[in-house]
Amino acid sequence: MSFDLHRPSSLAEAVALAGLFGPGARFIAGGTDVVIQINRGKIAPAHLIDISLLPGLAGIAATAEGYAIGPLTTYRTIERHAAFQGPLSALVEAAAVVGGHQVRNIATVGGNIVNASPAADFVPPLLTLDAVLDIAGPQGDRTVALRDFITGPGKTSLGAGELVTAIRFARLAANSATAFFKEGRRKAMEISVVCVAASLTLDASGTRCVSARLAVGAAGPTALRPERAEASLAGQAAGLTSFRDAGRLAAEASSPISDVRASADHRRHLVAVLVERALTRCAERIAGARP
Amino acid sequence: MSARNFRVAGQRLPRMDGIGKVTGKHVYAADFTLAGMLFGKILRSTRAHALIRRLDTSRAAAMPGVRAVITAADIPAVRFGQAVRDTTVFALDRVLFMGHPIAAVAAVSLEIAVQALAAIDVDYEDLPAVFDMEAALKSAVLVHPEWATYKALPIIARSGNISGRARIKAGDVEAAFAGAHRVYEHRFTTALQHPGYTEPRAAVADWDANGNVTVWTGTQLPFDTQNTLAEILDLPSSRVRVIVPGIGGGFGGKLRIGVEHFAALLARKTARPVRVITTSEEELTHSYPRQATVVTLKTGVDRDGHLLARQGRIVLDCGAYAGSGPATAAIALQVLAGPYKTAALALESFAVYTNKGTSGSFRGPAGPMANFAVESQMDMIAADLGLDPLEIRLRNIVHEGDRGPSGEVLRAVSIEECLRRAAAAIGWDDRKPAPGRGKGIACGWWMTTGGSSGVYVKINPDGSATLVSGAVEIGTGAITGASQILAEELSLDLADISVTGVDTQAAPYDYGAQGSRTAFSVGNACLAAAADLRRQMFAIAAAQLDAPVEAMVLRDKHVVAGDKSISIAEVARISRLSGGGLIAHGTAISPSPAYDPGRLENHPLPAWNTPSFHAHAVDLSVDPDTGTVDIHRYVVAQDVGFAINPTYIEGQIEGGVAQGIGQALSEEIVYQDGKVMNANLTDYKMPTALDVPDIESILVECASVAGPYGAKGVGEPPCIEPPAAIANAIAAATGFWLPSLPMTAEKIARELRARRK
Repeated sequence: MSFDLHRPSSLAEAVALAGLFGPGARFIAGGTDVVIQINRGKIAPAHLIDISLLPGLAGIAATAEGYAIGPLTTYRTIERHAAFQGPLSALVEAAAVVGGHQVRNIATVGGNIVNASPAADFVPPLLTLDAVLDIAGPQGDRTVALRDFITGPGKTSLGAGELVTAIRFARLAANSATAFFKEGRRKAMEISVVCVAASLTLDASGTRCVSARLAVGAAGPTALRPERAEASLAGQAAGLTSFRDAGRLAAEASSPISDVRASADHRRHLVAVLVERALTRCAERIAGARP
Repeated sequence: MSARNFRVAGQRLPRMDGIGKVTGKHVYAADFTLAGMLFGKILRSTRAHALIRRLDTSRAAAMPGVRAVITAADIPAVRFGQAVRDTTVFALDRVLFMGHPIAAVAAVSLEIAVQALAAIDVDYEDLPAVFDMEAALKSAVLVHPEWATYKALPIIARSGNISGRARIKAGDVEAAFAGAHRVYEHRFTTALQHPGYTEPRAAVADWDANGNVTVWTGTQLPFDTQNTLAEILDLPSSRVRVIVPGIGGGFGGKLRIGVEHFAALLARKTARPVRVITTSEEELTHSYPRQATVVTLKTGVDRDGHLLARQGRIVLDCGAYAGSGPATAAIALQVLAGPYKTAALALESFAVYTNKGTSGSFRGPAGPMANFAVESQMDMIAADLGLDPLEIRLRNIVHEGDRGPSGEVLRAVSIEECLRRAAAAIGWDDRKPAPGRGKGIACGWWMTTGGSSGVYVKINPDGSATLVSGAVEIGTGAITGASQILAEELSLDLADISVTGVDTQAAPYDYGAQGSRTAFSVGNACLAAAADLRRQMFAIAAAQLDAPVEAMVLRDKHVVAGDKSISIAEVARISRLSGGGLIAHGTAISPSPAYDPGRLENHPLPAWNTPSFHAHAVDLSVDPDTGTVDIHRYVVAQDVGFAINPTYIEGQIEGGVAQGIGQALSEEIVYQDGKVMNANLTDYKMPTALDVPDIESILVECASVAGPYGAKGVGEPPCIEPPAAIANAIAAATGFWLPSLPMTAEKIARELRARRK
């Protein structure tokens, strides 16, 4: 492989370089996906634009409505972020099972999103939080919902020269919790066979579902939100029956493939199991947080 | 010398190569660089079985930076191989598997070499292929239509796609089945498993002005590699020098020639040093992984669970070349008999060719596959008869003086102690402590491979000793262990021993780092060298001390006779003035035990030297929905004869169990229509630190007759029992056995769901 490496010192310069080189250029931050893709001959960029040193794109900020995560934030930072250890713990749980320690020390949240792997672990929890992405580019800035951003395996709505500058989501309502579960063949350095995130809000008594948001990874061309499963929970008693029904509906909504990692049949089965578990864990957490 | 008085042997001393390895100073083969070195790459077939209609290297050869392109047409027409001489460096007119080398390129950079491969034009004409090992037994498609013309060891029985068939027979199996209380038949399958060494295969070759070649390589068998290179290069072996700078793991995957020949051939063509290193993809498509097997077992028992007869067959998939397959398949027969008394045996092995990459002899070759079958079935029989799995084993195990499957008399038999101690440690009384949780046990036996070892030992004028050995320190601590024995015998400290690097030009012969033999055999050679050195030193000391040799001993680095003494250093200095210095050549060979040849047919390893015995016990949970296995505790009770360095034996046990857990639960090179579907370390799943529990080692010391201080071979056994022990624990947790490795969560979940319906 050979390429020119560029190290812009500002976001504007990075966007300008990307505009200049067009499709022959790739942004690189942690490099944990880009380098593998280059090594395996899947991409051969003539220019790598290293954005890892750009100011202001790493870190987690509390905002008026919730949180803004910089795209250069590492998984290690997410794992250790104090504000995510409570109701937003699905973010921590997903971050903690990306690759291994070395990967999590360098891989970035933004890279995981724009790489658009159907198995990306960090995408489902963000989907359940209705995350939006701020994007800068040659045509100006824009904001897009994460669920509209990822359009297929390895595909996003990112235009030429565009760069994600922030991942934002609102705080959860009272009596809410999140959870994340992943299944693979081993406990680390593993690409999900299936992963599931859930965000559940119960009523003030803690017995009935007000709303639920679910997201399933590695069970379709993109991580998906099984809307019928989500809708089935509204107003239902929180418990095994409704959670199991939601799992079944989520499995029906998924469209997994069979590959060397698992069969479609097993993936669909895991979707049902993990959705039920994630919802159960959310309910336990809400109960545990109540005085 | 009694074990209680040992100062160095048996002690937990740090290994001699440890500091260099943990600080990064140690030079491995892949680190080795020479000035002006070129980079070699291999063009590999993209078809599983095809005629090469056209092979045109002219575009590649003309590329700037390319120094040589070679194909079968450019090199001596030689077939090489261990049991069967069926292997060529490059495909001739036909490719036999996807990944088959077709050409090699040397270029001034790795990048140019890779680009040059893409500029080689190959036209193929596909041929019918055979991928399934059982189909290959009867297939009209022959991987080697010219098989009958190949040279092979006389003991090997071949026919068509069968590259080796062996048998062990005893008693009348059919009559015993007819009289049995019950007869059980089961079929088991095991998958291809990569040895998983950290360092890829790597070699640097350089020719001198006199036409001699030196190859720096991470091989386990430098002398075997030297011989094979000499054959391929058509040279006397003395003109090939193999140096092993260091080896980043091998586990049997670096026994046979890997990339050394490509480096040597390219270096000869270019007159420049050439380095060749494999990629992960090459490792997973063309290395020497543990062979896949199909094992069928038919076992007859009486109503008390005593084994009466066993008929067993193992079919082992060699891939496109026999490699170590014929011997590996034959070794499986001893494992199929197990450490059990069975009057009637009819065991048969088939090593078969298929159109897949050549496989090899990964740590404990055939051990885990055959043991998985035998020990799973023992538990199935126990369950059917209502017997405790430990109890059925205790009723059938061999004891001191019993005969093994080849009719050999078994000595230093410790299987009962291993079983009882492993069971006690895991808490066998509470075998199903919770729903979805269970404990399993499995036991087995294994050989200490023979082969000879020679060492030179020199006493230096400062009183230290230098050990010159052709044995490779493969990472087990074996050379540290042998040095501990040498230090013990010479009354030195371990720090007084230095070891030279492995160099076939200077070092005495060693059969190699294989078969759990290095510490055992090099240790014995050190004993012999030390005895010789004592004689030499005592003769000098006799004149100096005016004392009889018979009164002399070595103590605290001195020759001592009563109240007189002289330091070893002083004796060494005197020897330099008078006799050219103190040096000894120690040798060792383990003779094979006597056996009954009437029981064996075409078996290249008829009876096991100094067998070891072991039992593993595991406590695990199975997730009732996802099928995921979570191992809580893992216990190994292994008879090591004498623990030369307990720390490194425990290291061997922990590493072997980790590999066994991988084979049991996650590792598999997946072929589909001749193509490897997971030729990368993302989808080839070796266990991580999180998947392997703390492993509890119990070192049983039932001294052998032949080993140094009673030691037995240690390195291979720890990876033999894990698949069976885990299968049996899964069965305790779920009620069913999975007869197919790896026992993935998906397979377990499917079975759980099927049973729930």
